[in-house]
Amino acid sequence: MSQQDMDVDVELTPRQQVPTVLAVGAQVFTVVAALAVGAVALWAIDVNPLVAYDRMLIDTVSTPFQLTRTLNRAAPLILAGLAVYLPLKAGIENIGAEGQIYLGGIVAVWVALNANIPGALLLPAIFVAGFAGGAVWAVVPAYMAAKWEVNEILTTLMLVFVAIQVNEFLINGPMQGGIGAYPRSDQIPDAAVLLEFAGTDVNIGILLAVAATVFVYLLLNVTRTGYEFVLLGSNPDAARQAGVNAFRKSLLILPLGAAFAGLAGMVEIAGNQGQLGSHWSPGYGWTAIPIALLGRRGAFQTMLAGLFFAVLFVGGSSLGVSMGIPAAISDVIEALVILFLIAAEFIRSYRIDVKVDGESVGSSIRQLFATGGGA
Amino acid sequence: MLSPPLPLQSGLSIEFVSGLVDVTVAASTVLILAALGEIVAQKAGVLNLGLEGMMLFGALSGFVAATATGNLYLGFGAAILVGMAVAGLHAFLCISLKSDQVISGLMITLLGIAVTTYFGSSRNGEAIDGANEVMVPLVGEYLVQVPIIGEAFFRAAPTDYLALLLVPTVWYFLYRTNLGLELTAVGEDPATADTVGVPVFKLRYAATLFGGALAGLAGAHLSLVFSELWVNNIVAGRGWIAVALVLVARWRPFRALLIAFVFAGLDAFQVQSQGLDLGSGPVLSFLMDPTVMLMYPYLATILILWLASRGEVRERLGGPAALTQPYIREE
Repeated sequence: MSQQDMDVDVELTPRQQVPTVLAVGAQVFTVVAALAVGAVALWAIDVNPLVAYDRMLIDTVSTPFQLTRTLNRAAPLILAGLAVYLPLKAGIENIGAEGQIYLGGIVAVWVALNANIPGALLLPAIFVAGFAGGAVWAVVPAYMAAKWEVNEILTTLMLVFVAIQVNEFLINGPMQGGIGAYPRSDQIPDAAVLLEFAGTDVNIGILLAVAATVFVYLLLNVTRTGYEFVLLGSNPDAARQAGVNAFRKSLLILPLGAAFAGLAGMVEIAGNQGQLGSHWSPGYGWTAIPIALLGRRGAFQTMLAGLFFAVLFVGGSSLGVSMGIPAAISDVIEALVILFLIAAEFIRSYRIDVKVDGESVGSSIRQLFATGGGA
Repeated sequence: MLSPPLPLQSGLSIEFVSGLVDVTVAASTVLILAALGEIVAQKAGVLNLGLEGMMLFGALSGFVAATATGNLYLGFGAAILVGMAVAGLHAFLCISLKSDQVISGLMITLLGIAVTTYFGSSRNGEAIDGANEVMVPLVGEYLVQVPIIGEAFFRAAPTDYLALLLVPTVWYFLYRTNLGLELTAVGEDPATADTVGVPVFKLRYAATLFGGALAGLAGAHLSLVFSELWVNNIVAGRGWIAVALVLVARWRPFRALLIAFVFAGLDAFQVQSQGLDLGSGPVLSFLMDPTVMLMYPYLATILILWLASRGEVRERLGGPAALTQPYIREE
């Protein structure tokens, strides 16, 4: 056969059923491929990737000091991941978790500094404050999406940058603390700082994150409301026929998800930072998106994905300290994880068949093996 | 309120105003370049939220190439090529692999921030002798004398002129050429365009690559002309402002130019007006607070999105109908 008359064609057929091997394999492939490409970036600055990954991924979970840091980072990451995961189940894309985190932190700090609440009740109060702050920030996008079909992706995204400026305005003005060279709020009182597990520096944020995961799992898998959410996300027409009130549902689920991001902000401030500073969120809200995508199969998978990114985050910053590698390596790997997630998604949802002159290569190979190579 | 016409207030002199206009025009170039590329990509139906990342890739690669070769033009060339390469990745994921354009774009932005910080940290704060401002040939000397706008428009860097020239060029292409109309058709209704023989995939690829080229150029303009240095995260949110700008301008090149001046002017004003007493009440001083003014582009975007979704104005403000929707050919 000559080159000219060979007709190569790629055919894509959407898969009706995703084989389990592919579904689970996709997540594993994603992480391995991201680490492999990340290794090239390490090698490019003359670092042995194996040594770096050993420190980055193994030390972070095997020494008490690093494990403490990992768990304290995992808490806001898991909560932020749930903030994206929950609305996604109902087919609503919350891209604005970063802004909701800011609002949760801001409202929690305001309550901690200004509300006259006796010590023992202060923690529950800032918990509610963080929850409410996050939820409020998603009310307008949720209402606009439900009533006028204004794309919630763009509105939640734009509100991220508004939230960052709200934070800047407050720490340069009404909430500016008394001391220090650059703008920040006052420290929250001791009664508002998250409690720690006896004998450790691990705060109860991780407990909140696990509780939130269980809550989301039960909501989606046990309650009627959760069932309707999932139905709305997977089959809007069927949901309408079953009498699900789409307007009320979507009005509820986006703020409910955003409330978890608000909690993430509260946990970060009350557990890790103690005050508002300029740009105080380390980008948890952006990382929340790959967490929710990686964990899309369930709430507990989302929790595991949050843990994985916490390991990356802490591992990256300790590499910066110990080996002089830019801490941005963890961000590089994070972005690569999303890249390979997208590619894996394609393999999961389409059967790819290369046809040469109308003959399917795949089935030709299968025939070869079936007939033992004979013609 | 009746009062005698005030002279320009303390500090609000002719010098202040023409300085403000000069800074505004200089700061708008990066927004114009990025937004024009985004307009073309979105008109073809591809949303690119990776602008911020692509601009960072362009800013660093342009800076590295220019310092290595000592030639600014090679710097710009490298930035354009790198911008196109990154846009090629976005195009491959969104057009060929039918991925979610929003997720892919965010990935490109995160990748851009991460990779440029990772490889750029060692040169953080390094300066370069960048492009100089030049006068318009022949008549420049006289035009620069024009009060308020003279210095701003007639003594500028080459990329500033290029950005201003690209506005009518892109407008002409989109509204007055067959190819431009085909591109618009692809963004409105790819299936119908396909049946009449318009190469949907090719046009979407080309439009996305053009967007990447301009994003790379916009980034290089930042590091080689506007700031003349590399610092980590030099784009500092301008990519997002450009995305907001495209939505507010509803994909119209000349309107984008105008809004770029408004957004850049807000920015310039809040930097220059610190300590300028405009004699205002609490409400106005809140609205004029520098941190509050930086919210306006994003709030304006939400307002326009809301207006565009209302039936009565949808006709005037509607966007490409197939934006963010991958095209899957029915065999």
